[in-house]
Amino acid sequence: MDYTNQIREIATRLFTEDKIDVFVGYRMTGFDDNQVPALIRDPKEVSQLVFTDKSVFNLTNYLKNEHTRNKRVGLVVKGCDSRSLNLLLTESQVKRDKLYVIGIACEGVIDEAGNKMQNCMECVVPDAVVYDEMVGTPKGKQGYQVNADIHELASKELVERRAYFEEIFENCIRCNACRHSCPMCYCAKCCIDQETSTLYNGANTKSSAFHALMTWSLHLAGRCVDCRNCEKACPSHLPLHLLHKWNERVIFENFQEHLAGVQEGDRGAFYKYSMQDPNDFIM
Amino acid sequence: MNVETFVTDKAGLVKFYEAIIANNETYAPVEKFGKFDFKRVLTLAECDPDSPITKTMSAKPLFFPRSAKILKYSADASGTDVKETDEDPLTGKRVILGMKHCDARGLQVLDKVYNWDYIDSDYQKRRQNSVIISSRCDKAETHCFCTSLDYDVENLDAMDVLIVHGLDGKIFIKARTEKGETFLKANPIDPASGIQHSASEEGMKKQYDAFAASFRLKMDYKNVNGKLSKIFDTPEFENVSASCIGCNTCAFICPTCHCFKISDEKIKDTGIRYKSYDSCNNGYFTLMAGGHNPRPVKYRRWRQRAMHKFVYYKERFGENLCVGCGRCAISCPVNISIFEVVNQVATTV
Repeated sequence: MDYTNQIREIATRLFTEDKIDVFVGYRMTGFDDNQVPALIRDPKEVSQLVFTDKSVFNLTNYLKNEHTRNKRVGLVVKGCDSRSLNLLLTESQVKRDKLYVIGIACEGVIDEAGNKMQNCMECVVPDAVVYDEMVGTPKGKQGYQVNADIHELASKELVERRAYFEEIFENCIRCNACRHSCPMCYCAKCCIDQETSTLYNGANTKSSAFHALMTWSLHLAGRCVDCRNCEKACPSHLPLHLLHKWNERVIFENFQEHLAGVQEGDRGAFYKYSMQDPNDFIM
Repeated sequence: MNVETFVTDKAGLVKFYEAIIANNETYAPVEKFGKFDFKRVLTLAECDPDSPITKTMSAKPLFFPRSAKILKYSADASGTDVKETDEDPLTGKRVILGMKHCDARGLQVLDKVYNWDYIDSDYQKRRQNSVIISSRCDKAETHCFCTSLDYDVENLDAMDVLIVHGLDGKIFIKARTEKGETFLKANPIDPASGIQHSASEEGMKKQYDAFAASFRLKMDYKNVNGKLSKIFDTPEFENVSASCIGCNTCAFICPTCHCFKISDEKIKDTGIRYKSYDSCNNGYFTLMAGGHNPRPVKYRRWRQRAMHKFVYYKERFGENLCVGCGRCAISCPVNISIFEVVNQVATTV
């Protein structure tokens, strides 16, 4: 997958036609084969843009950035990124008319070891669902499958499962990089930053990590788009996707096969309330 | 100091490690979720003293814990009772195996700030009670630049015992400090395990030369120090920090970052007060009670971090607050390298 030329052409055109102030894409780090998100304001720098299967980071995270706020933005989105964009639009975090979205028909991205990322192998929406212009050949929606490690986790006894999650909490260093890298986390003052809170006091204790990560994952239940920005950001390499995928499975099975951000105007599973909602999965 | 150098082979080194772990309270890198962190170990099988630097957390938390209890308190109608915490992890002597030489250097840098206007007695205790056994890396990784900074990597006295894996398979063991010498005497090297005295240090020198030649990155730190101090107001900081997401990872895993916050864990009228890591990348880090924030935007926070590393600390203590381990670049979710950025700012402005 290499859409470098198409992306550069589109970006040049957008700058020439004065449609955007800043273009959010990817560029090479310059010292290895990894990429850095690039916020390009100068049309001369368009030649730095690239798009390959190393373009991993979900760029919608930059829509809360001071460089893009209230500006006309050109944005590159893969399938999963476009799902979070959909949610950000319904949650009124970005204005659609300020955005020019370049949707990618994504073939999956690769991790540092060169293997296809796990979330790409089970991707439901490889093609961008919201876009002004599409790059690549769309493949269409794929079937939802519960991944193997969630099955494995589900097969465990409750005590064992709790013990496994406690291992995750024990190794958390409370840097909150997961939250910062999450495109769906945009609260001006996050609950886990409340200095006076007794639960999330910032201390690196197991109970504080438990409360912070559990609150975070529940806040993202029905909103997580499985882009794995959090997992890639985690300096302790914690399998954070398990928290979200667990919720995703429960929601898919109980809320009319809801998957966050796939439909335009999607409001997230927990935004509407119905008397018919099941509650037997609680506790 | 005239110290003996010992020479051995792989099997001898394993026996040396095993003896240390059996006879001392030992901390070493233990793998969990593909990342190594320093933990108490009871056998050599649990840990890997030669864990790769790219996957190993720094050993800073052993000296400056991610969260340390400062005090506990309880309150009732008669008043408030404040006590020291009953937990004191610092009483015994301990050995730290497998610390990288850049981490050891990080402690030397931290010593200055912890012995400055306020002497941090907990830190001092942890330092005095620890023997650091560190092996020199075999080769530089993508983001390493320790040899470019203002310290002599070859003759570093930050570790107490240095282990060098020679190119010809010989392994050298040498005390670098008096503490290390005492340690080697207290933990005598068993001649039956194949460890001998060595007259020649040529193997160590050769290993260092090969190691020093493997660096991709070379920083002219004097140029960086000089330039950065003059360009506080350059708009270039805004450009280079644009892709930063302000996630704090770099500060939390840095072997020299030492900012902290104080917070309470409360249960009804009792509580424990903690001192935990914080980072200048956090928006609320400089937020004052009245609502004023002198660093309200990201590029100012980013600039603060770079300037603290290469200008402010240097001005105050004469050393860079960076040891060139490259961990921040390895862990950065958006692949920003402080080396590249600082170099770029220093060369383009």
